[in-house]
Amino acid sequence: MHEILNDPIDVTVAFKDNRVLPRAMRWNEREYKIDQVNLVHTAREGTKRVFYFSVSDAANYFKLKLDPEFLEWRLVELYTDG
Amino acid sequence: MDNPSRIILHIDMNSYFASVEQQANPFLRGKPIGITGKNQERSVVATASIEAKALGVKTAMSTWEAKKICPSIMFWSGDPEKYSDIMHRFNTIYESFTPHVEPFSVDESFLDITEEAEDYFGATCMAQAIRSRLHEELGERITASIGIAPNNLMAKLASGHVKPNGLTVVRPEDCLKLLDDSELDDLCGIGPRIKERLHAMGISNFKQLREFPRENLEHEFHSYGTWLHEAAWAGVRSPVVGFSEYKGVSQSSKPTTGDLTPDAKSYGHSYTLPENTSDACVLKRYLFGLADKVGWRMRRDNVTARRVTAFVRFGDFSSHGEQRTFHEPTADGMQLFHMAWRILEPICLVDVRLIGLSASLLSHGSTQPSLFKKERNMTSVLSALDELQKRYGSGVWKRGATLQTEFKSRSSGFHFDHEV
Repeated sequence: MHEILNDPIDVTVAFKDNRVLPRAMRWNEREYKIDQVNLVHTAREGTKRVFYFSVSDAANYFKLKLDPEFLEWRLVELYTDG
Repeated sequence: MDNPSRIILHIDMNSYFASVEQQANPFLRGKPIGITGKNQERSVVATASIEAKALGVKTAMSTWEAKKICPSIMFWSGDPEKYSDIMHRFNTIYESFTPHVEPFSVDESFLDITEEAEDYFGATCMAQAIRSRLHEELGERITASIGIAPNNLMAKLASGHVKPNGLTVVRPEDCLKLLDDSELDDLCGIGPRIKERLHAMGISNFKQLREFPRENLEHEFHSYGTWLHEAAWAGVRSPVVGFSEYKGVSQSSKPTTGDLTPDAKSYGHSYTLPENTSDACVLKRYLFGLADKVGWRMRRDNVTARRVTAFVRFGDFSSHGEQRTFHEPTADGMQLFHMAWRILEPICLVDVRLIGLSASLLSHGSTQPSLFKKERNMTSVLSALDELQKRYGSGVWKRGATLQTEFKSRSSGFHFDHEV
């Protein structure tokens, strides 16, 4: 199942080796532990640069968006295997 | 003679868009996937994953054809911004090895490592080091095939020799053997039509092409005949340039994933409709939206156009296109739209599948201010809207005319008083 979303979420991150690493997220009143940060990329929204984190746990792929201007995290994509 | 000591690396990312998606989403790994446009049913496969290729899916195949060949294929909408960002990252890695990096397309680059590598052993070590950096910084799924040779043309041919994740070293003395082991259309610059024409002339391999009199090739193909002759000799006898250099393609006009193209020859957009339509209102709405996109990109690059080409493709895949020229150059989406619609309106617009327009005959700099107040007002509105778009990104404003109108039955008392 693949869903395109734009839901605000809470994210716990670690700052390690000069990088931001999402460790866990809370969405729909449920906690998800992030096992893997697979890819980080950026995109422009006008003059603003936003960050996308492609992360996964054992059963789901999540694409998280970090808006550095407002320090706001959103879940923008969800893929569940099977 | 081409500088025999040059050492060129050609790095070609394997199934690039699909590999990036498989890197991002581990649940796509090991599966046949195809990267498509937003409307997957009416799209083509922009890139097939290595797994899909192994099952017979090819790039540019329509999605229904790909599904027929490989029923288990999974289609995934492409994300150009992601591919553009990763492209900048791998080119930055290359630039840490040599300043002589020439991006050839979104997933290919040439590196002149003559000074840095010194010899072919050094070049091989450098290729392995680049591969390690790609793995470390981008992820294990984003792999590349690398060719090392004395010029761009041979390096590109070499990188295509072993896929995926290959490394092919072709020293100057091995170039002719590589050509003789290749098909004519394996070489960048020889397409299927040229291959057919060469076949008709009795040339079916590079050995025959080398032996064919140069004058006869030039008689048939003019200056391209000279290039063919030199290419068949792999640049061993005289300088050979890559096909892009031969065609005069400047770096800035090569395909990118949305960056500025200051030396572009035209600006255009087309759109495959969600379903075929004969409704003029729907077509006008899409055309106006496309014209506004073209106008915005031209104003962003400080360019105006004097010619508009409008085109449609019908359900039976036949197409029609015409062009008209303005008296005064413009970058206003509305003027582009009006001209494009004047071109298309007289055509019998039935069962239209795709609509598009492009603006050409470009000149740099903005137009002279109009004498008419109404037009001057429109210019200042457009520049204010452009500022908004620069600040907040595309999609921050739209013309009301490009929005889909939804008619709802209006009720008056107990009865509907009209039909739409």
